[in-house]
Amino acid sequence: MNRLPPDSSLAPREADDTLETTSSEPAGMTRRSMLASAGATLAGGALLLRANVAHARSAPSAPARRPAAPMRKDWLSPGLPGRDYRPVIVPNGTKLPWKIVDGVKVFHMVAEEVEHEFAPGIQANCWGYNGQVHGPTIEVVEGDRVRFYVTNRLPAPTTVHWHGLILPNGMDGVGGLNQKSIAPGETYLYEFTIRQHGTGMYHSHHDEMTQMALGMVGLFIMHPRRPVGPRVDRDFALLMHEWKVEPGARRPDPNEMTDFNLLTFNAKAFPGTEPLVVQQGERVRIRLGNLSAMDHHPIHLHGYHFRVTETDAGPIPASAQWPETTVLVPVGSTRTFEFVADAPGDWAMHCHMTHHLMNQMGHDLPVVIGVNPGGLDAKVRTLLPGYMTMGQTGMGDMAEMGMPVPKNSIPMMGARGKHDVITMGGMFTVVKVRERLTGDGDPGWYDNPPGTLSVAATSEELSRDGIDVNAVPRAEPASPGGKPG
Amino acid sequence: MRLVITTSALLFASGCATVQKERGHSEVAALVEERIGRKTRWNQGTPEDAQVERHLDELLKGPLTSDRAVEVALLNNPALQSTYEELGVSQADMVQAGLLTNPSLGVTFGIPLTRDGELETEFSLVQGFLELFTMPLRKKVAREQFDAETLRVAHQALATAADVRKAYREVQARQQLVELRGMVLVAADAAAELATLQYGQGNINDLALVTEKAFAEETRLDLAREELALVEEREHLNQLLGLWGARTEWSISEKLPAPPAEEVELEQLESRAVKQRLDIDAARKQVSAQWNALELARSTRYIGRVDVGASVHGDPNGPRLLGPSVTVDLPIFDQRQALIAKLEAQHRQGERRLAELSINARSNVRAARARLMTLRGVAERYQRGILPLREQVVKQSQLQYNAMQIGLYVLLESKREQIGAYRTYIETIRDYWMARADLEQLVGGRLPGANEATEDQAPSHEREAPTGAPEPAPSDHPTPANGHPPSHGGHGATP
Repeated sequence: MNRLPPDSSLAPREADDTLETTSSEPAGMTRRSMLASAGATLAGGALLLRANVAHARSAPSAPARRPAAPMRKDWLSPGLPGRDYRPVIVPNGTKLPWKIVDGVKVFHMVAEEVEHEFAPGIQANCWGYNGQVHGPTIEVVEGDRVRFYVTNRLPAPTTVHWHGLILPNGMDGVGGLNQKSIAPGETYLYEFTIRQHGTGMYHSHHDEMTQMALGMVGLFIMHPRRPVGPRVDRDFALLMHEWKVEPGARRPDPNEMTDFNLLTFNAKAFPGTEPLVVQQGERVRIRLGNLSAMDHHPIHLHGYHFRVTETDAGPIPASAQWPETTVLVPVGSTRTFEFVADAPGDWAMHCHMTHHLMNQMGHDLPVVIGVNPGGLDAKVRTLLPGYMTMGQTGMGDMAEMGMPVPKNSIPMMGARGKHDVITMGGMFTVVKVRERLTGDGDPGWYDNPPGTLSVAATSEELSRDGIDVNAVPRAEPASPGGKPG
Repeated sequence: MRLVITTSALLFASGCATVQKERGHSEVAALVEERIGRKTRWNQGTPEDAQVERHLDELLKGPLTSDRAVEVALLNNPALQSTYEELGVSQADMVQAGLLTNPSLGVTFGIPLTRDGELETEFSLVQGFLELFTMPLRKKVAREQFDAETLRVAHQALATAADVRKAYREVQARQQLVELRGMVLVAADAAAELATLQYGQGNINDLALVTEKAFAEETRLDLAREELALVEEREHLNQLLGLWGARTEWSISEKLPAPPAEEVELEQLESRAVKQRLDIDAARKQVSAQWNALELARSTRYIGRVDVGASVHGDPNGPRLLGPSVTVDLPIFDQRQALIAKLEAQHRQGERRLAELSINARSNVRAARARLMTLRGVAERYQRGILPLREQVVKQSQLQYNAMQIGLYVLLESKREQIGAYRTYIETIRDYWMARADLEQLVGGRLPGANEATEDQAPSHEREAPTGAPEPAPSDHPTPANGHPPSHGGHGATP
């Protein structure tokens, strides 16, 4: 249990020390450091009080003055990037800025409408935070005292729930249950101490269906105060989500239950996703959170075995970790896995639900596979000039057709790859591992060393191995009886 | 004998006692031409009829326009021709009214029954006397009756013209509706074909296949019904145009035109109707004739029949005697009170009918115009709103199809809906032109501006045809006037 004692009552409990000492896990924050910081309790409390007064003055309509904050300081001095942690990389994402006021990390979140681009060619009016969808990633360190001012510039009330975090009940952000919802125009304050490390999330907890479907979600990364386990060189954070945006529409449909057509990593659908760039030999951590409306995502990484090191409740003991290539990330959960990037190349990482590898494809189409339209096209063209039967061999050709489509839509799959069209879209990205990197940007396509790229077989190769491409394909019985069934 | 001569002279003086064949029709022709710009002709087996026949063939050779159809009907509609015969009947009555009762010649022989007797002979010539004085009034009444009849016949011609215009629009619309049904069938056929191809590949089940096939079959029958409707409407027009045999091969190539840019003011229409409607005029004439008949009866109520005669009596033993004779009815019992009462009642009846007709005419004009305006509004909404939007629906559906959001079935459905909207538009436009024909009939002539804006897409020389010689292909006709039905409008009466 690598976390600070729970803070359900405002006064820290004496029993916490006992808990701390009996913990079998390496402590992220020692009792010593805790006691060392306790000396500043009085001053800190006074400052906190002052901050509250300031807040009340600036927002007269705010709820009644909160009672005095806890007198006994239970947090550490703010953890700093570079010194206390190596910041996570958020492909396509942003981070929420903060400042330190009297030893407290102060953040300002603004819930507002955001024009968001899911991929080149499709934008939508979403709801997010600080001009971003998803909201900026929050990055803190175990033991930090954090204070979030949340301003609501939406037309509806909202709240922020700190998903997976251990905090006082009144800070949990469930509208109606834990707090009054933040009315449009109001600014609320959340304040708590970070008592754990791992991957958390945040999202609206008022009219969840609408507000989360419109994008009011984000990642909440909590670094350990002291490094745990092997040092990682690259720490990527990806939040998964799913959306329904009708081709040509400009607003995600919050009512959709099954027919999602934009599946995203950090609110980007391929080909809008940035690659994860890694130097060969580096230890890579990938954090995955899932705040989709309805779907779990089995995320599959090519080229490696990885080990899932953390769930959203904390680390998994090394003895319980399995080698895997796919990790299922249920809705409302986070999973973190790690691997050593020893194999260079462009490695696909994607959700293995094949429909999650589509962009805005229709899901209620007549199946025309195998159909030879013959005179049908000419007949239809007398009514509808420009008509052409599509999909006779499946969807693979669609990526290249270049037919006119509704504005603001990316119905066809994929993008051009190095060798051909990548017939995937949606929840797809590429882990680019290189022997040498010149920077952190996209290094371009991988150059396969000679003899390591699949190409068409030559006739010499075919004859050498006695392969007759025109022969009746063979298969051997796999059961002793030799006959199926 | 002098009296005989005088009487004979009187007889001749009564004049125009002969029946003129064309009398009346020329008035009808003038009335019709004045109102709709097309002439009528009464075929009476004259050599000119052959020219008319040639002109008919000429009219039917090219694509039929609405105006040409009206012209054909005015020349050739058998019901109308039979109505023209009523003019003959009426004219005969008029001539009759101008004729004196024939004088009666009496011869009396006295054959002696005794020996000393001699054969006596007596000649007498008796002529009704009063007729000479009442004849002008009687002629006036008959004349007015005839005029009324002329107006009624002309009205009938106009009604036929209106019927032709409506039937023409119906055929025109039906042709387009058949075409649209054909498109619906293509759409349904394509869907069924796709289903068959899909089924062949195992992509759909039997239910889906037979559903599509059933729909296509039903659509095929819809087309058959629509084609039958077209045939029926064509035959209706054939009846109105009086056509049979090879002449029924006419074609209409034009599509229904959009309503003209502007409509006539209501005020103008009502007064125009009362002023120029021939049936109202006929009723007016009828009332006047009834009044004159009444006056005639009144003025002669105490005068019975007066017969004036002369007799020559030859007596062998005595002088020959010549003497006038007068026989006078004594109006003691019948002073024509019954006849007068009847005529008075009929006159009042006529006046009330005229009032009814005028009021109804105004009301019908208002109703017809309201219908016209509503249909026009509907047509405009289709033209400016629904049709472009439906087109957009198809266009966007095609984009959605390209984006693989919808399949061919849904795409074809949007096309079918577009065709359906166009069908409703065509029907509305047809109804508009029907209402316009109705209104024209109710107003008693073409609406102002009708010729400029509406005469289909007919070439301009045809549109201007009404007043001039309408011959569209003059090369094989020596003179345009000969190609046109003979006109007698020059000396026709104008109401």
